[in-house]
Amino acid sequence: MDERNDKELALASHQGDRTAYAVLVRRHYQSVFLVCLGVLGSVHDAEDIAQDTLVKGFERIRQLRDGAQFGGWIVAIARNLSLNLVRKRKVADETFGRESPPANHRPESGHEDLEQAVARLPRDLRLPLVMYYFDGQDVKTVAEKLQISTSGVYSKLRTALKELHDTLTAQGDER
Amino acid sequence: MNGPCPQMQDRIADYVLGALDAPQAEALQEHLAHCEACRRYAEILKRQAESLVALGRQIEIGMEARQDKVIEALESVSPVEAGTRRIFPSVGGFLRVSVAAVLVLGVGVAIGRWAAPRPVDVEQLRADLQVSIAESLKPVVRESILTDVNQRLESGLAANEAGLRRELADQLRSDLQLFAAQFTSGSERLIEKRFTELVQLIEEARLKDRQRVAKALEQIEQNRARDKTQIGMGFQSLAALTAKATPAVQH
Repeated sequence: MDERNDKELALASHQGDRTAYAVLVRRHYQSVFLVCLGVLGSVHDAEDIAQDTLVKGFERIRQLRDGAQFGGWIVAIARNLSLNLVRKRKVADETFGRESPPANHRPESGHEDLEQAVARLPRDLRLPLVMYYFDGQDVKTVAEKLQISTSGVYSKLRTALKELHDTLTAQGDER
Repeated sequence: MNGPCPQMQDRIADYVLGALDAPQAEALQEHLAHCEACRRYAEILKRQAESLVALGRQIEIGMEARQDKVIEALESVSPVEAGTRRIFPSVGGFLRVSVAAVLVLGVGVAIGRWAAPRPVDVEQLRADLQVSIAESLKPVVRESILTDVNQRLESGLAANEAGLRRELADQLRSDLQLFAAQFTSGSERLIEKRFTELVQLIEEARLKDRQRVAKALEQIEQNRARDKTQIGMGFQSLAALTAKATPAVQH
């Protein structure tokens, strides 16, 4: 385990040190991935965009003024790239008149229904849900990262739980 | 199957999220104790939350493999590319420095050329010199011409000095005579005009005096006539009074 902090690792990465950057990747991958998952709703898409994010982060590391801010900086890139993909897909869907493909590409997960229901949640509900349940962040942290109030986070989580319940109940009724 | 009480759904979701304080949680549990639909709803939401956590863990299982993939992808990114965005990504560091040096030198040469004096233009120089010489010669030429004219005038004057003097004296005399004649005739006309105006003024004043005297005499005449009438009337009334008083005296 590398004991160097983000600032030192970012500085070393700045000089082209891939080993130092690999430590940053392992340290921040989960946050990056879950933000992508929260925005995109698909594990497969989240994997692709998370990888793009971290590769671009290495390419652009010299644009980062303060290495200590690497975590927030890389998550912001992840969010922007994910939103770009959502917009591109929306334009493609509107152009060709088709709906987005199913979000789930992992039939072996054992929670396919739940995963699909999460993928169908509105993005503003899915992101706090993923941060809270998948990444284990507390409500206060989620509120800070999303720049909303804690009561706002509770409200979104409450609505997300109810919508998931409704979706899963409707799926159960169809079968 | 009955659904949960509509007014309790949010409270149940908050309960699952752990957002209720102790009294609120206790009140909800009392409700759940005797409401089967709400109790079932609460159990489903709780299982759903647990499933979400489990799904999160399951997703987390693949994290290391995903990280490995990212680190592998970094191998295809050259260390040079790990900097700022460049216009030509394939250009190496040494070449970049060389290009930068050439650019700097180019800018320096351009500035030098811009700041340096231009080559001599012979035709332009000739034209400038002609203008300059002409400008510088102008005062000299003007002075020379004036001197020449003065000399010619002086020589001409010296040759005809006596004749000119006589002519000037005659001219002066005739001018003075003309001036005196004009002055005299002008003065006579002015005096005559002033005298006429004075006579007119006197005549006007006399006329006004006569009018005033005539008016005063007329007024006096009117006053005398009025006084005469009043005196006459006074005498008549006196006579009448005297006539009345006489018989009484007789008695």
